[in-house]
Amino acid sequence: MLLIRAALGGRGPGLGLTPARRALSTLTGGDLGSQEQALTTGLPSPGAVPLLRRCELPVPVHRTPVQAWVESLRGYEDTRLGLADLHPDVFEVPPRLDILHEVAIWQKNFKRISYAKTKTRAEVRGGGRKPWKQKGSGRARHGSIRSPIWRGGGIAHGPRGPTSYYYMLPMKVRVLGLKVALTVKLMQDDLHVVDSLELPTSDPRYLSDLFRHRCWGDSVLLVDVDEEMPQNIVSAVSNLKTINLVPAVGLNVHSMLKHQTLVLTLNTVAFLEKKLLWHDNRYTALYPFHLPYSDFP
Amino acid sequence: MALALGASTVRAWLRAGGRSGLSACGLRWQSQTPEPPAYPGIVESTEEYRFVERLIPPASIPEPPRHQSYPTPSGWQPPKDPPPNLPYFIRRSRMHNIPVYTELTHGNRQMTLIRKVEGDIWALQKDVEEFLTPLIGKMPVTQVNEVTGTLRIKGYFDQQLKAWLLEKGF
Repeated sequence: MLLIRAALGGRGPGLGLTPARRALSTLTGGDLGSQEQALTTGLPSPGAVPLLRRCELPVPVHRTPVQAWVESLRGYEDTRLGLADLHPDVFEVPPRLDILHEVAIWQKNFKRISYAKTKTRAEVRGGGRKPWKQKGSGRARHGSIRSPIWRGGGIAHGPRGPTSYYYMLPMKVRVLGLKVALTVKLMQDDLHVVDSLELPTSDPRYLSDLFRHRCWGDSVLLVDVDEEMPQNIVSAVSNLKTINLVPAVGLNVHSMLKHQTLVLTLNTVAFLEKKLLWHDNRYTALYPFHLPYSDFP
Repeated sequence: MALALGASTVRAWLRAGGRSGLSACGLRWQSQTPEPPAYPGIVESTEEYRFVERLIPPASIPEPPRHQSYPTPSGWQPPKDPPPNLPYFIRRSRMHNIPVYTELTHGNRQMTLIRKVEGDIWALQKDVEEFLTPLIGKMPVTQVNEVTGTLRIKGYFDQQLKAWLLEKGF
């Protein structure tokens, strides 16, 4: 928990209370809370902030949901529309950086097939005959002109044929990697929850100006649930290199670490919580999950 | 003579017997014989699939039912509600059991492992030391892993630790 509180990020000075700073404010006794009231322009008191989303799945009795501001992309000042409850077993897990490393390295390597191949002394053309007789010529003794010590000879221990580096981490490790990545993004103030991905225009400059105004970083990953997304955001993002749009099933640890900011919609948060928390209460698979079970999907 | 007699008797017998007479001797009219049934075709019935459906297993672990008295005959007890007021909390495993496990490496290295510890794990280590010191007679050798939330103790103490944690209310 000390590790989480130590990981305070935060770029802009005028951003108000982020989840990490709110955690810190409970230690300092609410001094930052009064600062927050001075900074906000329309909200009367923390008690009147609307809770726009509660956790659908049951939260463990000893933990409370972690909260994040819900924002909007429709206007420049549409920040802090309300609060969203995020499940602590998805967004507040212990920061297992070793698992993040494992999953990121797995993502990089499991698709790799190296096609390097060299010829051994048996495959190099020629070299079947003894070049000169064993004794009497005065030269060193050799059996073939293609042995590895010869110029033009075969390679002794070179790469042999296409090599696959495929391996699978256990499903629960990959799920935990996603949870840790979401937690790290939230705790370092790089996660933003948005009500939906609707834009007033399809101009890519509007989107990049908005993100620059809100100090959301150089690269932003926008995540929606279905593959059908509003046309404005699709056309705006298609012309931008550092702002990317993915469906929720395409969320992965490497993309989350590569982009500086992660933006989730409320539907995406519900989808992710449901899918990631199911693994905490499932039996081990008797047969693959793509075959039917009585209560899944 | 015999032929004429046979033909007349058959004719008389036919006139007299009629249909019942025919069936008595095993013969019948062609109009009377039932036609062979028309081929019904293939009928696909999905009514019997319920016998397959009830064999398919579930994927998620159910919540344990409420019993009248605890501990249950197998010795299981649910965690106390509300949770105990301690600086640490030990979650139940996915099968709703206390996460204390024994390990044996190198054939003779006996260890007990407490997993799924959240909160201040050093407070748990102090409490475990206080609990186990009278049992062994000396300080137990423990290893704390803050990153994974596990506590490893030298020696087999799983039964005692499970009972102690149950009594605490985890």
